[in-house]
Amino acid sequence: MQEVGCRTCGTRVLVKKNSLPHTSVQWTTDAAATCEEISSRVAGGEHAACVTHCGALRASIEQAVREGLVKVSSDD
Amino acid sequence: MNHRVIESAPPPARFARGWHCLGLAEPFKDGKPHAVEAFGTKLVVFQGADGELKVLNAYCPHMGGDLTQGTVKGDAVACPFHDWRWGGDGRCAGIPYATRVPRAARTKAWRTLETNQQLFVYNDPQGNPPPPEVTIPRIEGAYSDEWSSWTWNRLRVDGSHCREIVDNVVDMAHFYYVHFALPTYFKNVFEGHIATQYYDGYSRDDANLGLVPGAETEQIRQRSEAAYHGPSYMIDYLWNEASGSTVESVLINCHYPISSDSFMLQWGVLVKKFPGMSDEEADAMAKQVGDGIGLGFMQDIEIWRNKAAIDNPLLCDQDGPVYQLRRWYEQFYVDVEDVTPEMVNRFEFEIDTERAVEEWKKEVAENVANGVSFSMIPKSMRETTRG
Repeated sequence: MQEVGCRTCGTRVLVKKNSLPHTSVQWTTDAAATCEEISSRVAGGEHAACVTHCGALRASIEQAVREGLVKVSSDD
Repeated sequence: MNHRVIESAPPPARFARGWHCLGLAEPFKDGKPHAVEAFGTKLVVFQGADGELKVLNAYCPHMGGDLTQGTVKGDAVACPFHDWRWGGDGRCAGIPYATRVPRAARTKAWRTLETNQQLFVYNDPQGNPPPPEVTIPRIEGAYSDEWSSWTWNRLRVDGSHCREIVDNVVDMAHFYYVHFALPTYFKNVFEGHIATQYYDGYSRDDANLGLVPGAETEQIRQRSEAAYHGPSYMIDYLWNEASGSTVESVLINCHYPISSDSFMLQWGVLVKKFPGMSDEEADAMAKQVGDGIGLGFMQDIEIWRNKAAIDNPLLCDQDGPVYQLRRWYEQFYVDVEDVTPEMVNRFEFEIDTERAVEEWKKEVAENVANGVSFSMIPKSMRETTRG
């Protein structure tokens, strides 16, 4: 997995992409504490696990893929 | 030549920590003690004088009498063997023939919760109280006149550990092969004690979805947001759309372990009424949805009955995150001090369904062209109905 930092809040996650539509994201921090978008949803009464994704992080991952910082490959 | 060898350790001896649904609350409130075989033992459920449901170990600590065969007397359940009385808090509430109650006269009282018109018990091998954040969330439809009543079904599954049903959370492809649905979008998120599954798809054109042969086979578009809240209770919000109208429903898919290789599978359905629909019509629609889901579970059970337990599944890129799901599930089987960050840290996995959808569409079209049609009714059920 490759490390990607969110360009909005700086949270760092581990990303693996087997193909463009596939994404695997392993967080190593408490998302409800470190991620702005998820923490505001949690403050609004939702469970963090019921938030599908953080839009800012998704955009950062897509940008990292475009910049070649995240390799798209099904090889381990 | 090297070949893959299936590994499987024996199922865990302990039972998962967490809230487990025992069923709808109402049937337990008839003034009688009820037996529930669960967690490797037997429980007794009865209604206390305060109206709340109480759950105790079923065997009387005096001489082992079965309290489920006894009677409710006032605020206690009385043993049929020697009339020892047990209160909902687990204390001996009296022994009519004795001058005093022994000091150690206490049985195990299970922590209970009644929500969504359902009864829950909390299992924790360490005996800690449930943390508030793992409580079962409220389902608004269960408290609204705009929704039907709950349907409720149960099915005892022998010869399988309940982790088999939890594996389904990540199993995109089995929806096509086992349930005759065609998933187009599939994503999982695990975090804390919750595991979610987001699913979009539609019913296969080559499968007869009706219970009755020859019933209409219109394509149904499906959207689902399902989440396990702890080890055993899944709330699934479902939207099924056909010919412009959408049926909004809530499915509960839950279970409690009976032993390390048997469990009680339960499911219930609520549907949102269409405008002008009566209670009876809404309940009939919920029953229809519930019956269809029951067939789906029969299809799963047919697989479980014949499959091997496998700790080292061999996965392809289009499979869901089985290992990460099992890592999440493991948190409920270890002491709370031994829960590691890896088990509870947020993990997201979105499957690339492109190749699968392309292949499956082709296969369905060929079947339709060749007049091949699959029945939703599992083989074993068809054989029994014929016989």
